Order: sequence, then C-alpha cells, then structure tokens
Amino acid sequence: MKKIIVLMLAIALMVTMFAGCTPKASEDAVEDVADVKEETEAAEPAAVEAQEITFMIPPWGEPSAEALAAFTAETGITVNLNIVGWDEIRDKISIAAVSETAPADVVEVDWSWIGEFYAAGWVDVLEVSDADKADMPTLTSFMAEGNVLALPYANDFRIGYYNTDDFDAAGITEIPADWDAMVEAAKAIKASGACEYPIGFTVSATEACTTSVIWMTMAYAGDFFNADGTLNSANLLKTLEFINKIVKEDKLVDPTMVSMTDKEIYGTFLSGDTATIVGPTYVLGRMANPELSAVVDSSKAMLIPGRADAATTSFALPEGIGVTAYSENKEAAIKFVEWFTSPETQLSLYETQGLIPTRNSVLQQLIDDGKMTNGDVLMAQSAAIKPAFPAGIPNWYSEMSAAIYNAVNEMVTSDLTPAEAMDQIHTKVDGIEK
Amino acid sequence: MRFKDRSLPYFMLLPMIAIMLGLVYYPIAMTFTYSTRNMILTKPKEAGFIGFKNYFKLLQDPDVGKAFFNSLYILVLVIVLTIIIGLLFALLLKRDTKIKGALTAIAIIPWALPPIVNGVMWRWVFHPSYGIINKILALQGSMDEPIMWLTEKWLVLSIVALVAAWRSIPLACVTFLATLQSIPDHLYESACIDGCNKFAEFRRITLPLLRPAMGIILTTTSISAINVFDEIVTLSGFGNATKTVMVETYMRSFKFLNFGEGSALIYLAMIATSIFGIFYARSVYKEVEYL
Repeated sequence: MKKIIVLMLAIALMVTMFAGCTPKASEDAVEDVADVKEETEAAEPAAVEAQEITFMIPPWGEPSAEALAAFTAETGITVNLNIVGWDEIRDKISIAAVSETAPADVVEVDWSWIGEFYAAGWVDVLEVSDADKADMPTLTSFMAEGNVLALPYANDFRIGYYNTDDFDAAGITEIPADWDAMVEAAKAIKASGACEYPIGFTVSATEACTTSVIWMTMAYAGDFFNADGTLNSANLLKTLEFINKIVKEDKLVDPTMVSMTDKEIYGTFLSGDTATIVGPTYVLGRMANPELSAVVDSSKAMLIPGRADAATTSFALPEGIGVTAYSENKEAAIKFVEWFTSPETQLSLYETQGLIPTRNSVLQQLIDDGKMTNGDVLMAQSAAIKPAFPAGIPNWYSEMSAAIYNAVNEMVTSDLTPAEAMDQIHTKVDGIEK
Repeated sequence: MRFKDRSLPYFMLLPMIAIMLGLVYYPIAMTFTYSTRNMILTKPKEAGFIGFKNYFKLLQDPDVGKAFFNSLYILVLVIVLTIIIGLLFALLLKRDTKIKGALTAIAIIPWALPPIVNGVMWRWVFHPSYGIINKILALQGSMDEPIMWLTEKWLVLSIVALVAAWRSIPLACVTFLATLQSIPDHLYESACIDGCNKFAEFRRITLPLLRPAMGIILTTTSISAINVFDEIVTLSGFGNATKTVMVETYMRSFKFLNFGEGSALIYLAMIATSIFGIFYARSVYKEVEYL
C-alpha cells in the first residue's frame, strides 16, 4: 500500500512539472482558428469595446487608477498594468520576440532602443498627425527612416543648473554662455574656496557617461553623428580633450565621480557639494523640494552653455510607449497609446507623477498657470533640442555606447590620452557588425 | 523479484531524471546549439549556423582575455582567503566556549546576505568620500587624501575578491568545523603521548584528515568566485578594466543581444571551470579513514 502511495505521489509530481508545458499549436490548428476568426469578424464588426490589453511600464509611468478607470469607461478597454523595472523591459521584449510573442500589448520604449527595435521589427509603426508631431518635438527621438515607432509620454532633455551662492562667492554676475567661459567661472569658484570641485560630470563606465558625452559634443563641438549615420570623430575628439582637461588638468571635477552614477552626481548638486551640473529636467522638481535638496534657495536652472556658432544645444532623452509587433490587440493598444499621450493625460501624469509633459501646449499651459518653476528656461532649452542621430539611432548603439564610456573612464583614470581614447573607440566601432 | 519490485526504484528516479534533463542537460545542449549560430536578436534575418566562428572570434578578442584574467585573479584570491580564514575560524569555533553557539550564528550571517546587498554594502564601506574605511584612516592620520578604492583596477579586483570571500568563508568555516569535530580525539592523544607538538599535530593529523572538506570547499568556492557578478557590477559597473567572464557574458548576451557569442563565452567558461573540477577531484578529494 505504501509503495502504491509513493508511486502515485511520484507520478503526481511529474504531472505537475509538465503541466506548464503547452503544446505548440499545429499549423492546421492555427489555420482552423484563423478561419473561425475570419468568419466571426465577417459576421459582426470587431468589438474593440470588449478587449483587454496589457501595459508594461516602469514605476514612474504608472497612471492613476482613476485615470485608467476613466479610459475603460470611455472605450471599454480594460488595461492590465505590468510594472517592471526599466532595465528589464528591453530584455523581456527581446527574449519574447525570439518566440514571436509579446510580453505586453503596449510597452515602454526608450529612445536608445529605437534603432534595434526598428531593425528587428519588434514595434509597430504608428500614424501620427502633423499637429501632434509639431506639438511633441521630442517625437523625432522615436523615428526611424521617417516612421514613428513610439510616442513620448515623459519629457527629459538636458538642462543646466547652477548654485547661486557659489557663483556669488566667486563674483560671477553673468551666467556663462559658452564652455570656455564656464571653465573660467569654475576656476574662479575653486579659487574662491566656495567649492573645491565645481563641475559635476559623469565619467563612470555607465550608459550615463555616453549620454553626457553626446550632449557635451553637441553643445561644445558640434554634431555627434553625421547625416550619413557615422560618428563625427573630429567633434568627439574635441569633447574628449575637453573632458580630459577639466578632470585631469584643471581638476574641476571631483575624482570620486569616476565611479559615481549620474544620479549620485545630481545628488552632489542637490547637497551643495557641486556648483554646476547639466542634468535631466526632473532635477527642477527635486531642487525645489526641501526634503530632497539642501539648495532650495540657492539653485537655479540655466541654458546649457554653447559655442560661438550655437548659443545652446540640447538633446532629448524622452520615455515613450509603443505597440509591440506581436500584440494581438493592436487596435485597442493604439487607442491606449493615443490616450496615454493626450494633453489631458500628460497633465494628469505631471500632477501625480511629476513627469514633464512632452507636448509644448501642455508645458505652456503649466507655465501660464504658474505650476512649473523655471519654466522659461525649460521652454527656451526645449526650443534648442536637436536630434543626436540625424539618420536615426543605429541598431549598434549599445556596442558603441560601451566603447565610448569605457574609453572615457579609462582616459580619466589612467594615462590614456584623448587621441588614444579616440583610437580605442574607433577600433571598437569599426569592429561592430553593422 | 517481481517486476513491480524491480521497476519501482526506476519510477522513483523518474522525477529527478526529468528535472535534470529538462532544467540542466537540455539548456546545456541548447546553449551549445546557440553558440554555433549567428544569433543576434536584432538581426533575425541573418541568423544561421556558423560553426565555431563565435569561439574563434572570442579567443582572439583582447577583452575576453582580460575578462578571463580578471576572473582568474579573483579566483586565486578568493580561494586563498576562504581556506585560510575559514580554517582559522573553524579552529577557533572548535574550542569549547560559552559563546560558541552565538559566534557560529554570527559567522553564518555573511552567507545569508544576497550578493547584491553584499556589493552595495561594501561599495559604501569603500566609498572614497563617505566610506567608513577612509573615515577611520583619516581619523588615524594615516592618509592625507582620500584613497580611491574603487577606481584603480587592482584595488577594485582585490576588494571584489575580499567581498566574495567574505560570503564564502561561513560555508568553509562550517564545513571545516564539522570535519574537525569528526576527527577522533584518540589520534591527538596518541600523538601527544608520542611527543608531537601542536604544529606537528596540525600538519600530520589535522590537515590530511581535512582533505575531503578541502575538496568540497575548493569546488564550491571556485564556482562562487567564477560566478561573481553582483559584486563586480555594484562595485565597479560594467567597465572594461574590471570585467569578469560573467560580466562579459552578460554584456554580450543582454546588452548587445548577441546570444551566439554569449553562449560561446559561457561554454568557454564552463570548460575552464571543468578543468579546475577535474584537478580537484583527482588531486585533492580523497577518502580518509580514521584508524
């Protein structure tokens, strides 16, 4: 009896182990289902109202329950939220795509993924009106070969910040308009004793370092990428020389920043340990918050210093959402994407999550209503946004980024010269299978 | 014996065999298959069999060589630290004291910490500005400028080894302690009668009888050291200078989405680990008998 019970338990264990395995539908079965589906669709119009979709988004993009309920009431589409860390979303999309499935109907799409996703065909092209394109200048970050692959829902572009107390202590009355003047200002601040390392800059071996190199090149030297989709080596070399100078020669950047993340560096500005940074738009909200900032009364936003032929330039790093190519509820997913990026929802997301709207009309409304501080600088910087990749983000962006941040980090932590760092980047980029 | 009785043991083994086949051998086989293919997820149309090209490419890549060297450096350091400190703690805990139980419990705490927590904690300990190590050294007057623990390559690798060893020492200590406690006292008594000093006792009795435990600890510590990932990433990110084999595999597979190269690299790491395993099995692990 005992043996029988043990045998039954063993069989039950095996059955439960294989319970999760579902057989791949045979081609005939798939065709049968497709036939039935066609007949059903021919018999009655598609019932979008009865559909459910899944929305995969990082925590900061989560819409409120009230907003989702309003969307469901209006359209009949139920939205199942799947809150996932930003880092994991790309992995989930790429691995699901191998088996031709989608982890969700609507997913977060970062600007840096557009090249890869377009090449692999993982997200669908969206139809966007000219009016919406004009209202959302950061939409260009989600375009490849003229096709819109995602709509931006949270704005982020680089903007300058400075500590007014440090600048006053050094006797600086005018905000530097170009980088040479900024370096002189930083030297004056250092000499005054107000701040030992006035400039905050990401030089750690992280993606944020590449982002810093991109905006610095655009602001200081010129185009980062040429119109033909190749790296502008001359401008990048100028940027490397500039970074080398401010870190190793003039010692205007804290040596500990070689291993700091970008968020930690923004934190040094908020704690008053750094006199000036170029950072994301969300720092605006944090520097005005007494719980997060020690410089509430002594911090201001400024335009990123430029150069002789360009007063200021910035580039956008917005967050977007798109419809996965393997979604089975595309109509409903598109409706949701349009709703999520509508002016009303963007206003709601700003009020609940602090996300900066991507529509200029909504930005202007918030500034006019007095709900956004430093709004004038924000609008002025927004007008100077240029795409870093005129021909679209390449599908080898990740490998290029790794080459850049490793070369920069090695340059600032060793005897590697800017020219040698540039050679290293060239060797790596040339070796990438494009 | 009836067929029922003869076949029952095989039925009992079936669940384990199914698990091993499904979760161990099948992934190993599939990984090899991927390693022989051009499998870049963003280029599905270019996928196809390419033989051992991925392996040749990796063996010629200087970054892969650096990653293997970094892993070897960490491995050697972790093994040395784990065995020496683990054995020392085991010898201390073998003594009968009132707080022996509490000390054993405290010694196990590092083992219970998740590696990522370990890495983050030690990152702040060694932080140049806010870390306690620099604060203590500054208070003592031992340094004029903060030591940049996490910027210089060899310092970072040594700290990673220290952190990985810190996590492995409790297991080593417990394993050594169990083996030490199983060594019969009469061996030491006989040695004492024969005029053996403590050092000779340790060298001639304790160490040889610790060989089985040594084999286990070497194997588990080596696996742990080669697989170190969370500590490296939290302490130094994905920088080239301090990348190990696991970090390099992760970068190729999940950052560059090149599963072909990532699979080939993990196979190379598996081969390297197997060599260590064979070495341990043949020369270190031996059965012992207490006469």
